Amino acid sequence: MIAARSLDSYKKIAGEIAISQLGQLSKNLKGAKVVHVNSTREGGGVAEILNWMVPLMNELGLNTSWVVIEGNEGFFDVTKAFHNGMQGSPVKLTNKMIKCYEDTLKLNFTRLQNQLEEADFVFIHDPQPAAFLDMCPNRKGKWVWRCHIDSSNPSREVWKYIKSKVVKYDASIFSMPAFAQPLPHPQFIIAPSIDLLSEKNCDMSSKEISEILNKYNIPDNVPILTQVSRFDKFKDPLGVIEAFNELIKSIPAELVLAGGGATDDPEGKVVFEEVIKAAEDNDHIHVLMLPSDSHKTINALQRASTIVIQKSIQEGFGLTVTEALLKEKPVIGGNVGGIKLQLHNHYTGFLVETPEGAALRIRELLHDKDKLNRMGKIAKKFVIENFLLTRHLREYLTLLVGLKCELTNYVLTESSNC
Amino acid sequence: MTLKNNKLSNNLFEVKDCTIITRMGGVESAINLRELKERLITCSIDCLYYHFCETLIRPAFDNPEYRNDFALWAAYNLRDRVLAERLGIINPYSFSNLEDLRERIIEIVEDRLSCLSYILSVPKGDEFIFMRAATVVFDTGLVLKKPSDLLLYLPKMSKSTLYYHFMEARRRTQDRVDDFTFWLQFHPDKNQRIIDALSQIDFYFINLNELKSVLIKTLKNVVNKS
Repeated sequence: MIAARSLDSYKKIAGEIAISQLGQLSKNLKGAKVVHVNSTREGGGVAEILNWMVPLMNELGLNTSWVVIEGNEGFFDVTKAFHNGMQGSPVKLTNKMIKCYEDTLKLNFTRLQNQLEEADFVFIHDPQPAAFLDMCPNRKGKWVWRCHIDSSNPSREVWKYIKSKVVKYDASIFSMPAFAQPLPHPQFIIAPSIDLLSEKNCDMSSKEISEILNKYNIPDNVPILTQVSRFDKFKDPLGVIEAFNELIKSIPAELVLAGGGATDDPEGKVVFEEVIKAAEDNDHIHVLMLPSDSHKTINALQRASTIVIQKSIQEGFGLTVTEALLKEKPVIGGNVGGIKLQLHNHYTGFLVETPEGAALRIRELLHDKDKLNRMGKIAKKFVIENFLLTRHLREYLTLLVGLKCELTNYVLTESSNC
Repeated sequence: MTLKNNKLSNNLFEVKDCTIITRMGGVESAINLRELKERLITCSIDCLYYHFCETLIRPAFDNPEYRNDFALWAAYNLRDRVLAERLGIINPYSFSNLEDLRERIIEIVEDRLSCLSYILSVPKGDEFIFMRAATVVFDTGLVLKKPSDLLLYLPKMSKSTLYYHFMEARRRTQDRVDDFTFWLQFHPDKNQRIIDALSQIDFYFINLNELKSVLIKTLKNVVNKS
């Protein structure tokens, strides 16, 4: 877990106005009990977001806590099936799987019942804890289902089950409009964000960056191309290797595929082994399985890169894209999910459909350093203006004020009695 | 919606700020121009307002080519530059109300449909998705007492404050005037030159950073001439 930082420390980055806005907005929410529920304390974007959001909400006067559901391997196999199904993979749900899921959640609910019943606002992150609402008939607060994954084309069977669990929520949040599914309650759109002060995004000296490259024997005398992501088939690491093999027919380069696993991702190991096999005959491909706390290493790898790749075939938002853009790196990304929100051809990067497309765009940028640098600068400005955690927090507070006022479309805080 | 201006009885101007949160628009998405027209007929005017006016304060790439989402969709998804240009030139603030704006967009789309020999549909993922926003307005704690305070404090105002008082005000008021002008009109130290200068600003086709610069420059010019 990262150390909590105060709002004051973000003044220099986001500006005093942004911090003052948060203070004014939260005046109406002082003392409100907010509970966030997810399935992992570390690994993946959700845990990263909650690591900063919970302390900052508390600093603003909300009474915020974060609880994590627990389960055995069988439970996480089921929730992984939910995750894959929500992202479009065909998944067969058996009665045994549903029973394992619901029994485990009931055990968790017993542990968390008081906290959930008393909360004014409950945020349930992703499908894993979604069934809690059914178990909590005595709840007094508003419940929001926060879906972080690309659910634009879910498996019918999985969505049918998950929908039956989320349909009674007061509202839901998706990262992009395209991810939203028809539901009878208001559906809000909040893009995630990154923390500029975190180990993964803070400034680093060239010496620190060189040390990390040396540690992993990555030469820096040729362009370095990097994809940072979990070893997950939806991130298409094999497609990245294919693009790289095409590229180095004409341009020397090094490819780094760096990622880790998460406690709720049992499939990662299988994909990792496939990647190792595909890379075994090429000394210019560096496959790094990193522990989940390797934030500084990832920061250094992104900064050392000439171009960053995120060739996903399914993606939630893709925070690794945001991180790379912040570091003035144009990104070559798959034309899917939240990557489409972040990459704008010829401005911040390129959207591609195929390994060949990725190779083509990488080649184009490596041949035109002026364009590469110009796009890097636009990319950084874009992130600073839109994807800082202060904007993210502001939108959550706006939603909370809205929920408190029964989701009126237009709230004047000084005149509202809600 | 509560319709009101910011004029207070004692001639003070209470500076507000606002935030928005985007929500789904409540109508199905459109995969081609024919569907876009059908949805335009039935969608809430809040959707039109979102796609034309709230583009400035939501977190998104500030595409310099077009200011409204319909034009961007026509250009980048339908790949119909003719339609994009016709939609792109629309200034929503030049209409007396959003229903008139709706009528004009439908007219343009119908006109384009009549010229097309076949209707192109976009692939899944590229549909036009209708959105709207919920707005929360809050105090900043800043109060302007006299017209000269406006120039003094403009540099310290957030982009969303400028949006709220200079642009959004035109939606919530019957005479469709910005809050600054409304306040200045009734102030004992009224300066008609400032009011005239504000009315001359062609604000729709610039972003909020540019609007701040333009407002400051405009007021400075008036002060210098005075």
